[in-house]
Formats: sequence, structure tokens, C-alpha cells
Amino acid sequence: MTISHHPPDELLTAFAAGTLDLGQHVALATHLAGCSHCRTMVRAMEQVGGAVLGRLPPAEMSASAFAAVQARLGERAAAVPAPAVQDLSEQGFRDIAGLPPFVRQYGDSSWKWIAPKVHFRPIELPRPSETRVFLLRSKPGTKMIEHTHTGFEMTCVLSGSFAHDGGHFGPGDFDFGDGSDDHEVVIDSADDCICLVAMQGDLKLQGMIGRLLQPLIRM
Amino acid sequence: MPNETPDGAALDAARWAALIEAVALRQDRNAFAALFAYFAPRIKTFMLRSGASAQSADELAQEALLAVWSKATLFDPTSAGAAAWIFTIARNLRIDELRRQKRTPTHDTSEVDLEFQVDTGPQPDAGLAAAQLESRVRGALAGLPEEQLQVIELSFFEEKAHAEIAQALHLPLGTVKSRLRLAMNRLRSLLGDFS
Repeated sequence: MTISHHPPDELLTAFAAGTLDLGQHVALATHLAGCSHCRTMVRAMEQVGGAVLGRLPPAEMSASAFAAVQARLGERAAAVPAPAVQDLSEQGFRDIAGLPPFVRQYGDSSWKWIAPKVHFRPIELPRPSETRVFLLRSKPGTKMIEHTHTGFEMTCVLSGSFAHDGGHFGPGDFDFGDGSDDHEVVIDSADDCICLVAMQGDLKLQGMIGRLLQPLIRM
Repeated sequence: MPNETPDGAALDAARWAALIEAVALRQDRNAFAALFAYFAPRIKTFMLRSGASAQSADELAQEALLAVWSKATLFDPTSAGAAAWIFTIARNLRIDELRRQKRTPTHDTSEVDLEFQVDTGPQPDAGLAAAQLESRVRGALAGLPEEQLQVIELSFFEEKAHAEIAQALHLPLGTVKSRLRLAMNRLRSLLGDFS
């Protein structure tokens, strides 16, 4: 699969730094699951994190800190087993390819009709996140909502494709809307287009689909 | 002794990796003490800058070093540099701690670790060995002007990254963004052959 749209550098940096909220993290992880190019960049940023850590000025540890840790080394002496690369593929979202394994532990639900040709399926995050995450499935030829963001929106294509004036987006591609643009999205694949969408802020949707979608997305 | 930090420059990446391996292979307590002396005070600073109280930062630094001890056998020098590996431990503890503060603790500490496993393959990015990646990143960082380095460093702390970095450095937001972009472009160009 040829991926031509990647997350902006600041998002890859924030992923490596661990400063994203869980919903944003899920969107980035979904792109990374299919993109070795960006995985390398994240690994490089983790190396940068190591360098940043090594350059920090030391803070004085409490007087008892080392003794306290030493006293606890025994209880950890038995090496922890390598974390089982848990086979989560048999859990949720069985019909959805391309999700990172940990997302399959999250609460699944069925597709809900929200508008002609468009279905919606929330991903229930295990903890509160400012960013909501859901799957969106659209039939070929669907002309999607023209909308203006007041927050941001991250879209990862899992299957199918769409286009808007920012380009053509197929499987693995990552579309980042930072609130500055209006999109008119057209599903241009022969099959359904399934995307994972992470969204923050309110949507101002226009048109009939928008009016239908808006209350649902607010959840 | 734990409060005395050895000169950072003396402990290079290879030595840290050797110390972690000594812990993994022999449960070498002297090696552990050296890792503690260098990293615990820096992890404490990392936690303090992330908003932790002095006591909490101290405890998190202790937890991080305990994790270094107990996970040392999982350290794979072919896939991560030593400092980067310790950084990811501290990073994941910080995430876990923030969740605790929001009263949504993880079920266990491996939950955050799992969230960073985006791929199930054993060697997802075998194209670029850790040592190469590490030395390239080190070279790239050494070549960055201080102003770009500053912006990159701050990216590791601020949740509302750019706006707050701009405020901290008394710079316009656009300048922060362009410096970060310049720094990342340089990193990219040095890594480009491999990705």
C-alpha cells in the first residue's frame, strides 16, 4: 500500500513524547500501524527523547530514595516475562482491518445509520478523552458533509478512498484538519470507504447530513 | 552516593547499554546504582517539568528505575538506544500518573506500554538498526542550532505544545512552528535513506 499523506511532524513528535490524549493517540497509532516510514520517525523522536532526558539538569533525589529502591529490588528480582504479544485480533472490530492491536480491546458497537449511505460506529475509549473516536463507513459516490471545524479532526483511511481539495486519500493515508478549512469530501472508491476519525471540538456541519450527524457526534 | 551524579559526558550510550545488560544478565547491583545515579535525578526533573510535585516526581523517578531493574531483560539494544528506552519508561509512567490524577487509573502499568505497540511484528522496522538510528539522531541533534533544540526539548513537556512553548520562549507561535519544522526537516533528511 502506498501511503502519500502522513501526520504532520508535530503530531509524530507529540506521539513519541506521550503528550497526546488517548483519542489522538489512537488516530496516530492507527496510521503508524500501517506506515513504517512514520514508525521510524517516531523511533527517531524517542531517541531524541532519550537525548532530551540525558541533557536535563539533575534534580536532587530525596535522601532515602536509593535505599528505598534498593530494598525493593528483591521483590522485582524475578525477571518479568516478556509481555505476551497479546493476540487481540480476535476481540473487537473483527471485521475491521488495519487497527492497532490495543484498540481491539476497546468497546465495540454496531454500525448505526446516520444519513443516507453513511454509517457510524463509536469506539468506546476506556477513559475520558477530549477527543472522540469513531469509525465512519460511507458508500461509493457519497458526497460528504461540507463542514467547518472549530477543533481538529484526524482521519485515517482503513479501506476505500475519498478525495477533497487537499488531495486523494486511500488506505493508510492520514488526513489532518486543523480547523482552518472547509471540506467537501467525495467517496471515490468502488467499495465502501471506512475511516477511523478522531475529533475534537464542535463541528459546524452544513447540509442535511450535517444536521443529522451533528447531534450524534456530540454524543 | 545516589545523589552524586557522575559527569554525564563520561557515560555514553554504549556504556548505559552495557549497564542495563549487566542488570539483565547478572542482576548487577553496582551497574544498577550507576544507572540510578545518572537517570533518577534527571527523570525527577522530567517529572517536575511535567507538573509533578517534588514528592511525586521523586517517587516516579524511583518507580522508573525499579522498572529499569525489572524490565532490563526486555531491553533490546538492537531496537532501542539505552537512553531512549529509559525515556519511554519514564514517558509511560508519566502518562499513567496523569491518569491516576484524573482518577482513571490504568488497570496495570502494561496498559500504556500496549498503547505504544502499534505493530504486532517482531521486527517492524528492521531496516534501521538502533545503533545507526541513535548515532544519526545524535549527529542531527549536535548539528541543530540551540534555538531549534530548545523548541524540540519543550515539545516533550507541554501538552498544549506550541502555544505554551511560544509563551515560554517569548516567541510568536509561527516562529516556534517554523523552528520545529526546520529541526524535523533536518532529522528527516538524515533519516531519509532508511525510511
